Amino acid sequence: MNDDELIMVLREQRGRVPMTVPVEEIISRGHAVRARRRVPGVTAAVGTAAVAAVAVSVALPASHPAASHPAAGHPVAGHPVASHPAGGPGVQLTAWTVTRQADGTIKVTFREATDAAGLQRTLRADGVPASVTFTGEQNPACQPYTSSGAAFKPFGSETGPLGGDSRNPQGAYDSPYALVIDPAALPKGAGLQIWTSGTPGAADNFQLNVSLVRVSPQCTGS
Amino acid sequence: MGIRRPDFAEFYREAKDECLFAVLVSVGDRDTAQDLVAEAFARAWASWPKVSRHPAPAAWVVRTALNAGVSRWRRRRREVPVPDLSLVADQPAAGGVAGDSVDPRIMAALLRLPARQRQVVALRLFLDLDTERTAQVLGIAPGTVQAHLGRAMAALRDELVPTWQENQS
Repeated sequence: MNDDELIMVLREQRGRVPMTVPVEEIISRGHAVRARRRVPGVTAAVGTAAVAAVAVSVALPASHPAASHPAAGHPVAGHPVASHPAGGPGVQLTAWTVTRQADGTIKVTFREATDAAGLQRTLRADGVPASVTFTGEQNPACQPYTSSGAAFKPFGSETGPLGGDSRNPQGAYDSPYALVIDPAALPKGAGLQIWTSGTPGAADNFQLNVSLVRVSPQCTGS
Repeated sequence: MGIRRPDFAEFYREAKDECLFAVLVSVGDRDTAQDLVAEAFARAWASWPKVSRHPAPAAWVVRTALNAGVSRWRRRRREVPVPDLSLVADQPAAGGVAGDSVDPRIMAALLRLPARQRQVVALRLFLDLDTERTAQVLGIAPGTVQAHLGRAMAALRDELVPTWQENQS
């Protein structure tokens, strides 16, 4: 049996598991999706962590908005500001917040995918070789960092609750997303690439992606 | 005259089974896969004017379903259920992944592949995406897609072909 024959046999399987949900139920759920989008702030939220993270253990869970306002009452809108030293207050931006935590990790909380250059600059200043693009495309200069899955785990961790339940993940659309980076745990020669894909403004198809890449001046700046 | 775009019901009818199978191979559980795909189709319906213009709407659905699966996976603190392959092989009915007429040996072999290889197989073979589109959906390089597919095919060949040859002899 050659590969073509094997592929043919494999493809024969795909029609043998019928999707039994009627289209009327799908459309009913679709109405619920539209209703969720009408929640204030929904369309500005960054969507779920995306495909690269299917295998990569970078966490991009949501955290409750109240938990990511360390400088409550003093938001800085539209002006990226470098992160604060350990123990100090973070700076809340309209788009994202970078906070260096007491254990040396860096928490990035996303609200909108804007000012990629500012986020990239801030992360690099905090010692994270990073490439950030919010254009819907990856930085073409970046090359994937190939490593075992275990190497990815140390630099990401889950924080914060996510509202909603698994069948009604409403919270995925009205809470910001947080990424915790441990610069010391990055594999040697590896940096982070953060980029978006999907349709800006479409909360359910606007993906935030994170992956390991090889460090280079063109990609991660070092 | 412009290209006619299918209405949502037509798209759902034509793409639902292949999307389900692609997601099923990736997540390993039929009920989970069906729920993820249903949610993804619901989102597609909610954004149909845009999704219908997507170059590969089925790929959009599968990607959305897989992303929703990742979110759930994280919410469950990475308690990823491991498919029980003995159930696949021994109890092909009763709503397991091998329900209906799927060859349980094939499904078991697919589920033994590493997660990324399963995703590549799902998109390349079961959704008929080309290498470039698969790479875009998974956020990896085209060469990595080819490497994963090559390894997956080798593993499937090693596992399935001897069994078939035995049955024929």
